[in-house]
Amino acid sequence: MSKGHQLRSIFNLIGLYFRVNLASAMEYRSAFMIQAFGMVLSNGSFVFFWWIAFNQIGARIGGYDFTDVMFIWAVTSSAFGTANILFANMNHISRLIISGELDTFLLQPKSVLISVLCARTSLSAWGDLLYGFILIALTQGADGQAWLMYFCGLAIGALLMTAVAVTAHTLTFYLGDASTLAGMSVEFIVNFCIYPKGIYAGWVQVLMATLIPATFMVHLPLQLARQFDPLLFSGLLLVSAAYCALAWFFFYRGLRRYESGNLIVTRL
Amino acid sequence: MPMNMIEAYGLSKTYRTRVRGEGLAASARAMFRPVYREVLAVQSIDLVVQPGEIVAFIGPNGAGKSTTIKMMTGILRPNSGSIRVLDLDPVRERSRLSYHIGTVFGQKSQLWFHLPPTDSFTLLGRIYDVEPGVLKKRIAVLAERFELGALLDVPVRKMSLGQRIRCEVAASLLHEPEILFLDEPTIGLDVVVKQAIRELIRELNQEKGTTIFLTSHDAGDVEHVCRRAIVIDHGRIVLDQPVKKLKYDYLNRKIIAVRFTEEHDLKPLPGVEVLKTGGLGSRLTVDTRIRPIGEVMSWLVGSGGVADITVEDPPMEAIIAAIFSSQDESAGSSGHEKRP
Repeated sequence: MSKGHQLRSIFNLIGLYFRVNLASAMEYRSAFMIQAFGMVLSNGSFVFFWWIAFNQIGARIGGYDFTDVMFIWAVTSSAFGTANILFANMNHISRLIISGELDTFLLQPKSVLISVLCARTSLSAWGDLLYGFILIALTQGADGQAWLMYFCGLAIGALLMTAVAVTAHTLTFYLGDASTLAGMSVEFIVNFCIYPKGIYAGWVQVLMATLIPATFMVHLPLQLARQFDPLLFSGLLLVSAAYCALAWFFFYRGLRRYESGNLIVTRL
Repeated sequence: MPMNMIEAYGLSKTYRTRVRGEGLAASARAMFRPVYREVLAVQSIDLVVQPGEIVAFIGPNGAGKSTTIKMMTGILRPNSGSIRVLDLDPVRERSRLSYHIGTVFGQKSQLWFHLPPTDSFTLLGRIYDVEPGVLKKRIAVLAERFELGALLDVPVRKMSLGQRIRCEVAASLLHEPEILFLDEPTIGLDVVVKQAIRELIRELNQEKGTTIFLTSHDAGDVEHVCRRAIVIDHGRIVLDQPVKKLKYDYLNRKIIAVRFTEEHDLKPLPGVEVLKTGGLGSRLTVDTRIRPIGEVMSWLVGSGGVADITVEDPPMEAIIAAIFSSQDESAGSSGHEKRP
């Protein structure tokens, strides 16, 4: 199978699961609406926090102005939302490994990792996605470059967040339950994404460009939104692809150690 | 079609488990100095299954049934030995193999809990690359065959276990597999539904020639569905023979529980062993080679005041014990070393 055909097959599979998950979510329309809009309201409170902070401290914090902070917030929120709409099982891989729930996916002919990731969705994640969209519309106006980099950041951020979560969960194959570590890794990413990069010390910024790739998720897209550089943009795409490839490699290496189990399970 | 559907030689699987003593101190010690123990789940199994066979792979809990089926389907990697299913290596060619095999795990569902089965069928059909037109026809045929018409639009969460298992079996047949692996398909089902599932499996084998590999620890599944039985215990195959022979040798006993309306004392009868009597309830075992079950039922009803009768197969553990004791006897009589 050619690389192009493989990629098309992966996108088709993601689309298939997306439609089924959405149909499943629609079984509980009220819960879906409440969770999604509840998340928009919950996230909304942070705008006031930053608005007050900029009024008290000054026009720039850590080299970012108010619209810059809103941009990184929008990208982080929408990337988190997209990852959890399309790949919500990224938060549950350890449990799936321990309870032997990968069996169902191993019996099917499609990519195990993609099938695992896509087999679940999060209702509240729609609120995160929507919140980012509203925020970018309110703070960036008709700035085409900002919009373009928002969408690129959203896609890259979702993939990187998923890649880091998958890599951390893969440790379960070797060390036992790594769900806490994996959960922490996603929290770290979010935390380092939503504050101006300039407030962090040098060694933290190294972490942000390696183990916790917040730099590639939001800070570089912001830099590109303000001043586009095709070379930097190409580098960003390459680095993101490398994170995904590593996560893919680690998962399939770990899968060789999978021991299954006989727990009674249903697909939600 | 390959000569043999399944070929396994010297197939073994070992799990490594952490050994931990009781109490907090032992847990703390295990954190820094873990001790591991190797568990031999499957030990050097040789097995050949031919096209169209219905094989029962039976044994008590923890015997190695599920582990073997998981190695055959590519879920688990064997530690040693070789295995070919439809002439494919289940580990290296897992994806290719999955287009040709179907699986039903009684304890694991492949259907979406909140959605009607028709949605799961459509997704599974796409996953197995079945053309939409062909898929539609197959769903219609399976719905008729498995009497799913009224269930197709009902969310799986609202179904009974028996209805769900019927849908599970139908889902596993959407891509028309050449081998169907069934792992405890009748677990938790009542007698009527068990019978319906067994009939469906038999018909599938007769109409489509699908090879069936069934694990169960329900003696009834073996007796009513399969033609060949392989008994596994402690990871080793202890018996491989036609079900007819197994039935004659080991499945010839039935257990009858009878409840009377007033206190009753049953007298022994040739071929009937009274395990418990006196009071309102009695328990008997019947050797059906000596006395057919119908005769015993008539005898019980004739003795008057019967409120309820239940006929059961002996538990798989009892059958395995009987197999071992007969093997020990034959080994003893021929001067061979006895099984430990």
